[in-house]
Amino acid sequence: MVNDSTPDGAVVAQVLGGDGEAFGILIRRYEPGLLRFATRMLGNPDAAADAVAESFVRAYRHLAQCRDPARLRSWLYRITGNRCRTHLARRHTNDIPLSEAPPLADPADAWAVIERGEQLALVERALAALSAEKREAFVLKQVEGMSYEEMAQVTGARIPTLKMRVHRAREALLAALKELV
Amino acid sequence: MKLERSLLLACVALSSPLSAQDGKSRLEGRVPEAARPAIDSLIAVAAAESLPTEPLVQKALEGSAKGVPADRLVNGVRRGLLQLREARTIVVRAVPSQPAPEGHVAAVSAALARGLSPAVVERLLTVAPDEPPVPALHAAADLVAHGFDPDSASDVLIEAHNKGLRGDRLLDVAQAADHELQRSGGGTHADALARVRAMLPNLPAASSATPVTRRAPKGS
Amino acid sequence: MIVDLGGGMTPIDPRLQEALDGERDPGELPTDQREAYARLMNAAQLLAAPPAHPVSVADRVMAEIRTMPPPVELDSWWRRATRWLTRPFAVTLRLRPAWTLGLAAASLAAILLLPGQRDSEITPGAAEGIAQFVGQFPSARSVEVVGSFNDWSRGSLHLRDENHDGIWHGTAVLPAGQHEYMFVVDGERWIADPLAGRYVDDGFGAGRQNSVLIVRSANMVDASR
Repeated sequence: MVNDSTPDGAVVAQVLGGDGEAFGILIRRYEPGLLRFATRMLGNPDAAADAVAESFVRAYRHLAQCRDPARLRSWLYRITGNRCRTHLARRHTNDIPLSEAPPLADPADAWAVIERGEQLALVERALAALSAEKREAFVLKQVEGMSYEEMAQVTGARIPTLKMRVHRAREALLAALKELV
Repeated sequence: MKLERSLLLACVALSSPLSAQDGKSRLEGRVPEAARPAIDSLIAVAAAESLPTEPLVQKALEGSAKGVPADRLVNGVRRGLLQLREARTIVVRAVPSQPAPEGHVAAVSAALARGLSPAVVERLLTVAPDEPPVPALHAAADLVAHGFDPDSASDVLIEAHNKGLRGDRLLDVAQAADHELQRSGGGTHADALARVRAMLPNLPAASSATPVTRRAPKGS
Repeated sequence: MIVDLGGGMTPIDPRLQEALDGERDPGELPTDQREAYARLMNAAQLLAAPPAHPVSVADRVMAEIRTMPPPVELDSWWRRATRWLTRPFAVTLRLRPAWTLGLAAASLAAILLLPGQRDSEITPGAAEGIAQFVGQFPSARSVEVVGSFNDWSRGSLHLRDENHDGIWHGTAVLPAGQHEYMFVVDGERWIADPLAGRYVDDGFGAGRQNSVLIVRSANMVDASR
């Protein structure tokens, strides 16, 4: 019997054994991170939800092709990254603005929350101004906390290339975030 | 088999090129009436701009066959028109001899739809502006879809081209890279591309390979 | 705010990069770099916080996959499918420029229903190739291929399950180049080909994907999947 503490490999085996409901465990496990990653990549929570939903369906459909279930997390991020790139490419042709300012917190909230919302808006705009590759590298490293080795599995890029992207992203963000304390 | 042969011959005899107007007439009775005026208008715009109309006709037929609601059907065709415009902008930049060879714009549009960046598409077009772009663009899209870095993917395809691989043989580059990636287990994408580079231009041809080498889930 | 990404940025001190990479104690950094470190870490923390109004996709994903079969390991069927794919046999259907299919569809469907047609000796022309389609649909009553090569028309390219083992297959001679397609199962379920290897969003906003087929020209034994 699998549950929320069962390792990925065993859950994958359960799903491949015909228990489709067990896939819900993987969704619960990885949805928060994937939604955060996709939201940062796309700058739009609705588009991010679409990308993550499509990624999970795609992952389910192709689960038998996941060569190493122990690396499921990297595989899911890779699929989601690809879906985000597809969304970005489509958006490019549809003239939809890349970055929309996120909604600020409810005005009734405390000032601190509003200030935090404004800070986040500033950071998100700076992030959206990066190229998709640099944005992805920065988010995977600094937000998702991945090692460069895992980032290489997710993106397919070489580690020196990823380091360069992260470094360049940091430089650009630092220049843009001088107002952020 | 005489019956089959004769029917096939009939098929061949029917296969003569038709005009854009014929394209629109193919929508008759298949596309919902609510969507027809908008779709006809979009196709007319494409024709007026000397863009290929066949992709838009196909998109309209596809959406209709799938039962897509009229508003989304029109949006899908409109999206196709926007993509063709962007494709032509890229082709105009990358292909010095204008008008560009037939099929370039549609091929570039399809490559963009598969998620290739305009920069990668333009780079690949620039390398071989007068050659049919479909194989190189799809090879690049295959590599990117399998997680290879877009720039590295372009590099290896350009190297393959420079070493004499042309046309469909460029698809073998992507296939070989995917094969190397699977074969290596935990190896990186960069390692796989390096091994493919080392093999160039002597890559195994698809004609002698097993068509599909991976497992796949059942479809139903 | 617009960020100048064109080279106007000041490179960050390598020690700061190392600290951000977790390879150096940030306490060792000079004061100005510690401030930069704090600014970037603060930005990362803001981005790491859950979205203000998180929308779970779990329900919609589960609802969709409940309509799909479990993605079970299929070694045995896969081996059979591979054997079928690699076994030489002749062509069953020629699909020329798409718009001719409307007129020829009924006749071609009749061809596909004829028994013993694998014995034919038709070969593709110089600008054509052979496409092979195969998929496992154990409980299906009918499976057909609908795509850009037949104007997305139903009824012109039916797959067959001669052994009644749930493996449906068929071949077609198609113009060389790219084609998009889907399987239609039992006349109503549209399913992307799990073996296609190439997919593209269909552009109608529901996140559905078409399979993409690249047909190689002249004497290639299979469509390049």
